[in-house]
Amino acid sequence: MEQKLVEFLMRSFPDAHEIVIEGLAPIPGGYSRETYRFDALVRWHDREERLPFILRKDPPKVVAILETSRAIEHDLIEAVRRHTKVPVSRSYGHEMDASTFGEPAMVIARMHGNSATSDLFNGGPDEHQVDDVIRHLCEILVELHMTDISKLDPYSSLSDPRGVGIDTSSWDTYMESTFEYYINSYPSIAYDPSTIVLLDSFLTLRRNKPRPLPLSLVHGDFNPANFLYQDGKATALIDWENSHVGDPREDLGWMTTMDILSNTDVMSHPRDEGGFLCYYNKLTGYNITPDEIDYFTLFGTANIAVPISAAISRRIANEHQLFMHLYLMQPSTGAIPNMTRLMKYPEFSS
Amino acid sequence: MNTSPSIDDLLSGLIVAISDEIVPNLADAKAYATASMMQSVLQQIRQMLPVYDAYLVDEHNGMTRALRDTAAAIEGVTGPQADRVRERASTLGQRADLPATPDRAQIATAHRELGESLVATLTDLDVLQRAGETRADVALDVVRSHFGPRFQRDVATILVGAGMVGRG
Repeated sequence: MEQKLVEFLMRSFPDAHEIVIEGLAPIPGGYSRETYRFDALVRWHDREERLPFILRKDPPKVVAILETSRAIEHDLIEAVRRHTKVPVSRSYGHEMDASTFGEPAMVIARMHGNSATSDLFNGGPDEHQVDDVIRHLCEILVELHMTDISKLDPYSSLSDPRGVGIDTSSWDTYMESTFEYYINSYPSIAYDPSTIVLLDSFLTLRRNKPRPLPLSLVHGDFNPANFLYQDGKATALIDWENSHVGDPREDLGWMTTMDILSNTDVMSHPRDEGGFLCYYNKLTGYNITPDEIDYFTLFGTANIAVPISAAISRRIANEHQLFMHLYLMQPSTGAIPNMTRLMKYPEFSS
Repeated sequence: MNTSPSIDDLLSGLIVAISDEIVPNLADAKAYATASMMQSVLQQIRQMLPVYDAYLVDEHNGMTRALRDTAAAIEGVTGPQADRVRERASTLGQRADLPATPDRAQIATAHRELGESLVATLTDLDVLQRAGETRADVALDVVRSHFGPRFQRDVATILVGAGMVGRG
């Protein structure tokens, strides 16, 4: 692997006379891609530099939770880097030929900052920074959502990145085609009749469409594990693989869900602005209501639940033997009470 | 409660994961031995689970019978030991037989069949709701009233701690 990385990086540093890979090691966590950290000692004739990198590699197709393209992710984060101030790793390119790294992969700069964002909550060592970090995180998200889609996605690769028939020609067609995708997926994700709650959520979403907002580029996995921070600032927004053109409220809804599942509290900050939603509304003027957040919490849950449940189904059908997919049933179960609350199941309506 | 994956599926998945995802990364012979012992105990649990309740019931009923038959075999024998054997036969030995436990596979099949029929019902209700039939809204609440408490019970049973293991 080290030699392949050297050959790969030589494309980005054609003037270097030597590159040495050091400390290549897998990074635990992250449920969809296989990630490795390493340093590259890049030597030119007159100097040398130690550069921190991450290799993001696709898992084998059969165990993949999200089937996404590293080439599209590379193009997106480079566009985000060029056209916004959103802190994002520089991408040093992608290798779609699986024979190089075993599966398609990309190499990105390793950003500085603490990735253990749980340190910001529940009496953690960085709790004193939480308001500043989350304020900045909110500003970053607003900038992402307010940036012209055509700048970030000039080739419309992110209109339907899963290739499931999503139509982003208008907000209405986006929503309708997404409902169709969710509902049509159900037979292949229903590993047990108890997944009825997913079908209920898909049908409920279709029956209760909210007011439209301008479509934007959404991060797609905006959650407490997908940012780094340091000294009161968010230093990087990471894991762009589920990014797509969609409704900006999806990112807010998904953070709400993941706050619950991750035992964090992003949405209550910055407290002096009345929380994440109030500050987001102040910056965008969207006046998004808590009911709309509830709707998109359900919508975002469905968006991730479809590929996750499909992956669990494939594991249960013994298409592969990876254990993580069996474990994922547990946190997925943890999402159900919030879903039933959002759908106003009878025990919650009194 | 879900019937798929079954408890056996989960245990079997653990055994495979120990072989495929843990053992290749173990550097220490003792850790390897412990991993092998874990697999062996997990397999033991897989073998015990399907028969455990049925065997307990069968053995319970067999023991009451054994107490009675033992007393019968020493009929006419005198002395405190024989009296104690008869005393046990006339108390614990008189317990009624426990009912046989239903077959778990049969329960799972029947459970799944009903679950799937409620999934189909939900789809039909959605069509009625979108056609403006308000009585279908009430009917949906009936379905949800059944599942709501079930889901809460499942969460209480299945979840282990807060957060997601393995994420930052």
